[in-house]
Amino acid sequence: MKLAAMAVRAAVGAAAIAAAAIAHADWAPTKTVDIIVHTGPGGGNDLLARAVVTMIEKEKLSPVRMQVINKPGGNGAVAAAAIYEKKDDPHTIGFITSVWIAGPLTTSEAKITVHDLKPIAGLILEPAVFAVRADSPFKTLKDFIEVAKAKPGTLKQSGGSVTSRDNIVRQSLQHATGAKWQFVSFQGGGERLAALLGGHVDIMVIEPQEAGEQVRAGKIRVIAQLTEKRLAGYPDAPTLKEAGYDVTTTPQIRAVVAPPQQPAEASAYYEKLFAKLKDTPSWKKYIHDNQLEEGFSTGPELKKTIGQIEKELREVYTQAGIKVVR
Amino acid sequence: MELLAGLLHGFQVALTPAALMMCVVGVVLGTVIGVLPGLGPSATIAMLLPLTFKLEPTGAMIMLAGIYYGAKYGGSTTSILLNVPGESSSVVTCIDGYQMARKGRAGPALGMAAIASFIAGTFGVVALMLVAPPLARLSLAFSAPEYFALMVLGLAMVVLLAGESLTKALLAMFVGLWIATMGTDLFSATSRFTFGQAELLGGIDFIIVAIGVFALGEVLGALEGEKPAEVLPVPKGWRNLMPTWDDMKRCRFAFVNGSLVGFFIGILPGAGSTIASFMSYGIEKGFSKHPEEFGHGAIEGVAAPEGANNAETGGALVPLLTLGIPGSNTTAILLAALVLWGFKPGPLFIQDSPELFWGLVASMYIGNVLLLILNLPLVAVFAQLLRIPGYMMYPLVLGVSIVGVYSVSSSMFHLYLLAGFGLLGYVMRKLDYPSAPLVLGLVLGDSMEKALRQSLMMSGGEISILFRPIPSVLLAFAALLLVVPLFKKFNAVRVQVIDKEA
Repeated sequence: MKLAAMAVRAAVGAAAIAAAAIAHADWAPTKTVDIIVHTGPGGGNDLLARAVVTMIEKEKLSPVRMQVINKPGGNGAVAAAAIYEKKDDPHTIGFITSVWIAGPLTTSEAKITVHDLKPIAGLILEPAVFAVRADSPFKTLKDFIEVAKAKPGTLKQSGGSVTSRDNIVRQSLQHATGAKWQFVSFQGGGERLAALLGGHVDIMVIEPQEAGEQVRAGKIRVIAQLTEKRLAGYPDAPTLKEAGYDVTTTPQIRAVVAPPQQPAEASAYYEKLFAKLKDTPSWKKYIHDNQLEEGFSTGPELKKTIGQIEKELREVYTQAGIKVVR
Repeated sequence: MELLAGLLHGFQVALTPAALMMCVVGVVLGTVIGVLPGLGPSATIAMLLPLTFKLEPTGAMIMLAGIYYGAKYGGSTTSILLNVPGESSSVVTCIDGYQMARKGRAGPALGMAAIASFIAGTFGVVALMLVAPPLARLSLAFSAPEYFALMVLGLAMVVLLAGESLTKALLAMFVGLWIATMGTDLFSATSRFTFGQAELLGGIDFIIVAIGVFALGEVLGALEGEKPAEVLPVPKGWRNLMPTWDDMKRCRFAFVNGSLVGFFIGILPGAGSTIASFMSYGIEKGFSKHPEEFGHGAIEGVAAPEGANNAETGGALVPLLTLGIPGSNTTAILLAALVLWGFKPGPLFIQDSPELFWGLVASMYIGNVLLLILNLPLVAVFAQLLRIPGYMMYPLVLGVSIVGVYSVSSSMFHLYLLAGFGLLGYVMRKLDYPSAPLVLGLVLGDSMEKALRQSLMMSGGEISILFRPIPSVLLAFAALLLVVPLFKKFNAVRVQVIDKEA
């Protein structure tokens, strides 16, 4: 009797698995897919999402339309909550950045964090470079750090928020070398660059695409790269490791997440969709034009990356005396 | 000669049927989204960006720029007619524009807004064409200490925005400054006045406060009137719809002021059109022979800020096109658009892509003419809105305000905020507190605080950095602005005393 029941259960189980496998292969969205982003229209993540929508349309990868939904506010907290509320909706995904990991560490207001969402796929790694003005006396990062060691607190770096990567790499370098320099936060990327070009600060961390034209015009010089290996656009500037500084650089990621209980077959569909997207010519061109690094990873890999980034951020924040709330 | 050749080439590009078409589409779309409160040019451009991939880049840029400056034309419409600021740069237009409408001069106010926009907008393009590179270098000389002084000067203008009581104006301004501190602090990642709400981490959007305090406050105030809400007088006849020759003469200085202040503030990456419009309004009132008319429907109070926010467009394109530095949200999106189309915005952009630069400049001349032709007849149409009686008008204002705020963030929380600020506006009105200083404090407070802290971080805590040449001059002006009314008051008292003794 018992044996028969087990056999039945096993049979039902096998059937269920088979059914799931079929569904797995077959599921496709049947109505418009919402992509939730944490910036208003025109913000970095919003522009990426709109570009992705256009590429998916152009390459005919999706049977339905995709649309960008803006949920700005709270460094990702508002958007995270909006995705979380969708529970098991198969037609919602979200685009995250490293800000979603950094934000909750320093602000207690965020009830829902990136850990409450389902990781789908990693998309991009955003590289960055260290730049100085073309007429700066610092030819290498070492020159800069030596002066910062000899005269602590006199040199200045322009950057974003105190929790941003700009400051993280500064903290790590200071920690590793004993040098000290000022970090001046500016809200917008334009202001940061203007401060460097105007000679009001000595160094900045800048995106390679943004730096490229300034270098070509002879306005700034790139002295090091915050990358694993040298970028195609900057064959002559050493990576931090090559320059002799083996420090945490904490990758800046852009990735895809989904509501927490999204059915596995739907999540698998999106992971595959972005895996396909990354091999298209449109995507390659986008990465090249914006001088980004390919950063595709699967859901489980993304989960690991997020955990790793959070661990590094926590360490550096604590070192820097920034209050970590969770 | 090179300039003429460039411009000639530009007109050849901009006058092709396709480019002309894009220009028309851009400015019409710009006017429409300018009229709609909430929805601004940056959001519209971002949403249209994917469509432009299929277009030829010069035409696409002409269209997006048309949306950018077209919105500045449309922004004044609801400010004047409904006291609902259509764009953040048209908030200050509410002050005198709405009063003009209440006095039956909605037509001249709308007409003057279009004319001032045209004059200053065209000045902005001329200046962009002639002096872009040297001015771009000047804008780099501006850094945190200079911005701080500029913001202090702006705040000192509260004296000029005050009504009867300077004390009440200052109190309102401090509330504005307080609201400006809300959200996550950039320098320490600390939350300030968020009351545990994740929605407040990003601070409070200034346009929500402006719409709440101006528009909803007005509606609530009108609701409690015992007599049925007044129907605003509607001007009849073409002559009464347009500014008179006298109006034009009165606004001579406002045109110059708006053009220069707007363009100059525009080239500074850290300022913006809202600040430009406030500054030029303050200057206009400060130098006016009849400052007492401001706030009660002075036409210069419409001409100066509306001019300034249009000249600002030309100014803001200077650092974008000559240095590759975006100064505002909208220019940042234009920059992203250029990259997406395969251009390389930066110091060599004009040299590398003369066709796009000169085509854009030429199209802006054409666009401004088109906008004038488009907007003047619209005055007659919009002025008819005032025929609507209060029991329909006020719900309409309420609806427009709510839709405007919701369309930007699709957040219920922002609607609660809107309601809260509407109540605040009502209470302030009852107690005779002016609302403009509150909005001024909110606009300038955040930038001022950041600039001060950046300055001190740069100097390692040395306050002397605030007394470099440019900031010193600006701070001296601010001090003058604050002290002069005291002397006037003192003088008035002295005259009274002498009169009594005599």
